[in-house]
Amino acid sequence: MSPETSNIPEVPHRAPAGDPNSGPLLDPVFLHKLEQLELISRKIFVGRMKGERKSRRRGSSVEFAEHRNYTTGDDLRHIDWNVYGRLDKLFLKLFLEEEDLHVYTVLDASLSMDFGTPTKLRYGKQVAAALAFIGLVNHDRVLVDTFSARLEQGLHGIRGRSQMWRVVQYLEKLKPTGSSDLTAACREFAIRHPGKGVVVVISDFLDKRGYQDALRYLLARNMDIYVVHVLSQEEVNPDLVGDLRLVDVEDGNSAEITISAPLLKRYKDTLNAFVGGLKEWCTSRGITYIFTTNQYPFDKLILNYLRERGLVK
Amino acid sequence: MGGLWNWIGGLSSPIELSTPLGLAAWSVLAGVPVGIIALYFLKLRRRPVRVPSTLLWQRSLEDLHVNSLFQRLRRNLLLFLQLLAVALTMLALAGPQMRGSGVTGQRYVLMIDNSASMSATDVPPNRLAAAKEAARKVVDVMGSSDLAMVIAFSDTARVVSNYTGDRSILSQRIESIAPTQAATSLREGLQVAAGLANPSKQIGEGVVASSVITPKLFIYTDGGFSDVEGFSLGNLEPEVVVIGPPPPAYEPPAEARPNAPAAERPRTGNPSDNLAIVALQSRRDEEKADVYQIFGRVHNFRAQEAATEAQLYRHAVDKPGDPGELVDAIALKIPPQTDQAFKFDLIDPGLAPFEVRLTAKDALPIDNRAFTVVGTTRKAQVLVVTSGNRYLIDTLKTPLVEERADVAVKTPEEARAEAVAREIRGGRFDLILYDGVRPEAPPQANTLYFGALPPGPAYEKAKDVEQPVILDWDIGHPMMQYIRDLSLVFVARAKIVEPPAGSRNLIESNQGPLAFLAPREGFTDAVVSFPLIDGDAPNTTWFRYISFPLFVLNSIQALGNVREGSGDETARPGQPVVLHAETISKEIAVDSAARPGVRVPRSPQGTFIYQDADKTGMYLARWEPSGRLPFAVNLFDFRESDLAPRGLVPDGTPEAMQESYKIKIGYNPVTGTGKAPEVQKDIWWYFALLALGVLLVEWYIYNRRVYI
Repeated sequence: MSPETSNIPEVPHRAPAGDPNSGPLLDPVFLHKLEQLELISRKIFVGRMKGERKSRRRGSSVEFAEHRNYTTGDDLRHIDWNVYGRLDKLFLKLFLEEEDLHVYTVLDASLSMDFGTPTKLRYGKQVAAALAFIGLVNHDRVLVDTFSARLEQGLHGIRGRSQMWRVVQYLEKLKPTGSSDLTAACREFAIRHPGKGVVVVISDFLDKRGYQDALRYLLARNMDIYVVHVLSQEEVNPDLVGDLRLVDVEDGNSAEITISAPLLKRYKDTLNAFVGGLKEWCTSRGITYIFTTNQYPFDKLILNYLRERGLVK
Repeated sequence: MGGLWNWIGGLSSPIELSTPLGLAAWSVLAGVPVGIIALYFLKLRRRPVRVPSTLLWQRSLEDLHVNSLFQRLRRNLLLFLQLLAVALTMLALAGPQMRGSGVTGQRYVLMIDNSASMSATDVPPNRLAAAKEAARKVVDVMGSSDLAMVIAFSDTARVVSNYTGDRSILSQRIESIAPTQAATSLREGLQVAAGLANPSKQIGEGVVASSVITPKLFIYTDGGFSDVEGFSLGNLEPEVVVIGPPPPAYEPPAEARPNAPAAERPRTGNPSDNLAIVALQSRRDEEKADVYQIFGRVHNFRAQEAATEAQLYRHAVDKPGDPGELVDAIALKIPPQTDQAFKFDLIDPGLAPFEVRLTAKDALPIDNRAFTVVGTTRKAQVLVVTSGNRYLIDTLKTPLVEERADVAVKTPEEARAEAVAREIRGGRFDLILYDGVRPEAPPQANTLYFGALPPGPAYEKAKDVEQPVILDWDIGHPMMQYIRDLSLVFVARAKIVEPPAGSRNLIESNQGPLAFLAPREGFTDAVVSFPLIDGDAPNTTWFRYISFPLFVLNSIQALGNVREGSGDETARPGQPVVLHAETISKEIAVDSAARPGVRVPRSPQGTFIYQDADKTGMYLARWEPSGRLPFAVNLFDFRESDLAPRGLVPDGTPEAMQESYKIKIGYNPVTGTGKAPEVQKDIWWYFALLALGVLLVEWYIYNRRVYI
């Protein structure tokens, strides 16, 4: 926040009583429901450790995949001796290897997420926590990264539901800060995480530099990408009146407007175009786009909406 | 600026602008919208609001800039509303008026009748209140440049308010008009109004009426007055607003009805709810000397027979306004729209005021009471200066003269003595007879000269004539009452003089006037220019005829201020009362019920003129040491008591008959209207209201989040 904007009153976005921004991120009943769920990936990725998922990599598991000819240097332990007995030829018996799934959550923690009731950041935290829990329960490798101007060092490679507290602790400590640079964050993410997996990007995508380059970095890694687009109610239906100077909390940029019916209509048109453009860009590139607002109950989002979209089952 | 407005107004429509503001004020006003625009663009203070991102807003604004002019207009909606409000306010200040023609403000003359009949309660609460209400309506719709003047009139007219445009003052002044008990004289009011409405006359408070403006004259009256004849209204446009119940529908006149009684009045007025005592007198009974009679007449103005009771009250002499003591009563039954006489007999009560009261309830209570005084005879104080004329002195010894006059006879020498001379100067005598004697200075009394001329230069050029022949005499004058036989009178010598200006000849001869009356500073000099005796022998044969003592008696009656104790000379409310008090002091006191002890100074004529008799009732004049003279003030005005309003043409009157119902001023019949007429209206306040409305809309838009 620049010093110039520090004395500017904020659009009130916190309810005075029953603060939706406090309290546990996930309540036990909800967690119990989440235990039934499982993260799925449309792609089968290579994991580092043996996990509970089938991998495309052939390996040593119990599930047969196929045979292939023996070549020099193959592990003799995998030769199918029964086939050799019948056909007098050496074949290797290949099995599907079971692997763990890498679940990346990239959460936008810039100042623009600090709006709404509850704030978009809190909403994003809840989604991230829920996904992490599902992943942990299913012995997936869970990574939680946050970004504002650049990618922050988050939680890496935790497994098992016993690690859930670390996720919660990390997320609860998280404070909104700085302006967002989605492109820089995604580039750094792509460099830092060469492995494949499921990436869930939670952001409001209100980045004046655009989102296309950022998502392209992720696409280049051939990752299974989910985009959760969170907007606050104030952004969808602005509750503004009069002659105003709108000040951007991130870069201090201001826009002078006089609220009028045509301007509001124009704003909504612009918003729809923005949301529609993001969605179209994503779906045309195999990215699953999920739009939500902070008013949409987040448990429903997880239990119903994400299930419909195929992120969980 | 104002001229410009007028020019604009004159161009297009009957709306005209009359602004009370000057050029400087308009310049300041013109700066207001400019200032608003400047402030709006220079000092628009936008409220800063923090938002997550201006990304979407800026994109929206970029789109809007494509049609920015129109959008700018919409963005500045509040500015335009403010400008509109200011423009409307300025229009309102310009004072637009809906008017057919004319450029300058209208002048109104509001004449309000406050005579006795306006106190009638047949128009609730009373007619005067209704008239004031109607006049106030005119004041309420007056334009900002209009001027109005208010005149209250009864038998006299009074300017209640000079021309002014201040409506609150006008309303106040109209409210202050109080009812009087006087008669109505429209002429009085019209004379005042016409005098003030004449072109180029200074009309008070610095405003000069110009000949361009024709004042509108509104007369609020019930029409209880006679037509004003021989009066030119000049510039005035009269409009008579008749206050009172509307007349009944027209009926064919009496001769069209076969059964109409022949004795019916030629045109009885419309009936009205009133009973009135229209006359009251007291007189000593001719046959029984100790009996006084009080007799009067009651008129029933109603269409039905009325039954009422006439009650006779006796009042205390010293306490005017006391409730009185019931002495007698008579039941009366009065046929519709006729008179009924009544009479009370009293055994000589001495000096006593009496009141007759009607018990009936009607619309006008004033005329239900009438007053009279019994036992106030006054004898003429007569001084005869003669050197011993037996014929004259004998004539003054008749019983009739003794009853009416106290006669003192002095020789010229005695009259010149200091004691008598002081009495003459002090006004002790009403009439002084000079028989062939000419005083050195005119006395403070009326005089009757026989064979002598009054002192003064007007009588220097007298010439002596022999045997004039009496040709004619003026029997119309009270002094010549009953005188018929002067043609038989022989006159040997006479002095003929040209009577001074303003004189009235009583007896004409072939050689000039033999007797005439000449006014002198309020007194009257009667001159008979031939002497009665020439030396010891008579100069004339007049003594032989009955006309001589008659002439002397008439002179005493006419010039001697005799009062016979009857209600002959009735004082009317609002009019000055002339009192003849037998005193030589400089002033007397008059008590009335409302104001006791009013000092009245002696007039140059030796009388006392009381100006405050504005209410009916008993009054008492007092003087030292023990003089008391009660006198009564009564309405006794048939027109005031007749409450039927005049001036309204009844419904269904044939065209030819309508003229007779109208009030005539000059030779123009003026149609009365029953309701207050419409006048031009200011419409500036519509604009002021609109401006207020626009301000409200602006407030609503600003505070209630209405988007256009």
